[in-house]
Amino acid sequence: MSLHALILEPFQTLAFMRAALVACLALALMNGAVGTLLVLRRMSLDGEVLGHAVMPGAAVGFLYAGPSLLWLSLGGLASGLAVAALGGLIARGGGRRDAGLVAFYLVALSLGVALVAWRGSNVDVMRVLFGTVLAIDRQALLQIAAVSSIIVLVIAALYRPLAVGAVDPAFLRAVGARAPYGAVFSTLVVLGLVASFQAFGTLLAVGPMLLPAAAARCWGLGAAGSMALATGFGLAASVTGLLVSYHVGLPSGPAIVLAAGLLFGISLALANGWSRLTPMIWRGA
Amino acid sequence: MDTDGRVILYNVTVRYGRRVALEAVSGEFVAGSLTAVVGANGAGKSTLLAAIAGVVRLAGGVVNCAAHRRLAYLPQLTAIDRDYPLTVAELIALGGWREFGAFRSPGAALRARAAAAGQTVGLAERLGQPIAEISVGELQRALFARLVLQDAAVILLDEPFAAIDAQTVPVLLDQVTRWHQEGRTVIAVMHDLDLVQARFPATLVLARRCLAWGPTEIALPAMTA
Repeated sequence: MSLHALILEPFQTLAFMRAALVACLALALMNGAVGTLLVLRRMSLDGEVLGHAVMPGAAVGFLYAGPSLLWLSLGGLASGLAVAALGGLIARGGGRRDAGLVAFYLVALSLGVALVAWRGSNVDVMRVLFGTVLAIDRQALLQIAAVSSIIVLVIAALYRPLAVGAVDPAFLRAVGARAPYGAVFSTLVVLGLVASFQAFGTLLAVGPMLLPAAAARCWGLGAAGSMALATGFGLAASVTGLLVSYHVGLPSGPAIVLAAGLLFGISLALANGWSRLTPMIWRGA
Repeated sequence: MDTDGRVILYNVTVRYGRRVALEAVSGEFVAGSLTAVVGANGAGKSTLLAAIAGVVRLAGGVVNCAAHRRLAYLPQLTAIDRDYPLTVAELIALGGWREFGAFRSPGAALRARAAAAGQTVGLAERLGQPIAEISVGELQRALFARLVLQDAAVILLDEPFAAIDAQTVPVLLDQVTRWHQEGRTVIAVMHDLDLVQARFPATLVLARRCLAWGPTEIALPAMTA
C-alpha cells in the first residue's frame, strides 16, 4: 500500500473522515490549553469527574428531545456545572474532597446510564458513553469549533491569574484579585467536555484532554511550551487514531485515546530515561 | 512612608470552634516600628498575624490598619506549588501584581526591579531557574524579594526563619533591617529569642492574651519569667 493510500486517501474520499479530522483538530487546540492547566492545577481527578458529570444532564436532554445535539449539550452543560459547583462547596466545607468527587462520579455515571437505557436502546447508551466521532455533521462541527474557539480565547485572556492561582492561590487573593478564577476555570473545563462529548462520549471525553497534556508535562517545559506540545500531541494522536481506526476497523474514539495514551507512555519512558542518562553522559565527558 | 503604617488593635479576639486562640488583645504597632511577636506554641502568634492580615474572622474587637491595601503577609506555610513551571525571576516579579494586574504583562522596568531585588537577597545566579530546583532557603529568599517588590507599608512575617539554613538567616535579617530603616512597619513571629534581643527594638509577648508589649529589653523578660 502506498503512503498516499495509507494517509491521504481516507480523508480525500470520505466526507465523514474529513469532518472527524476537523473536529478532532479543533478539539485538540482547545484540549492542549485546558488539559495543561488541569494538570498544572492538579485537577486531573476533577476533570475525570466533570466528564462523567455531563452524563445525567445529557441523558435528561436525550429523554426530552431524543438524540438532538443541542439538547444533549445543554443538559450536559447544566449537570456538569451543577457538579462543579457542588465540588466547590465540598472543598469549602473542608470535607474529603477526593472521596466526594468519586462519589459524584459514580452516581452521575449510573444515573446517566439508567436514564438513557430507560427510554433508549443499547446503541444509544454506547453512543453517549463512547461518542460517535465518525458521525459528526455540519451543526456538530460548527458547535465544536465555536466552543473550542471561545475557550481558547478566554484562557488567553485569563492566563495570568489562572497560572498564579495554581502556584500560590493565597497570594493571588492577598493582592486583591478576588474574582472567582477557580470557578471560571471549572466552567471552561465543563464547556470543553461538552464540546468533546459528541466525538468521544462521556467516558472518553477527558482522555484527549488529559493524556496529551500529561505527556507534554513529562518534558519539563514551561507552561506555554507544555501547552504547545500538548496541542501537537493531541493533533498527532487524532490523525493516528483516525487512520488506525479506518485501516484496522477499530472504533475511532478509543483508537484516538489509545494513540494519546501511547504518546504518554513514550514520553514518560523517554523523559525518565533521558534524565537518568544525562548525568551519565556528563560523567563520561 | 506616605501611607500611615500604624496598626491598632482593640480587644481583638479569635476563636477556632470553641477554642479561644486570641483573647482581647489591645495595643498599637507604631508606624515604622519593628516588632517581634513571641510566645509558647499555641499562644496565638500566627493567629494574630492572620487577624491583622484579615484572613481569619474576628470573634470580637477591631483591627484598625489604614494601610490595609498596602499590607504584605508572608504566612509560615506558604501553599506554593513548586511543581509549577515558574522561574525564580517570575515568582519575584509577581510582587508587582498591583502594577500590572491580571491582564497585562510586567514591564521592563518591573522586571529590572525584580532582578535587583533578587540580587539583594543573593539570588542573582538563580533568577532563570525553575522554582522546583531551588532549596527551601532560596525559596524563602525569593519570597522576601517578592515582598520587596510589593512595596508594602506594613509587612507581616510568620516565623520567617524557621527551617531556613544558617547562611540565609543573616541575609533575610538584613532585609528586615532595611525595611525598618525605610520606615515600614514590620511585625514578625519569632522563636529565636537571642535574635529578638539582638535585632528587634520592640517585642510583644503573647499567651492567648497580651503578657507584655513594649521595648524589647523591658517586654522580653516576661517571656522567660
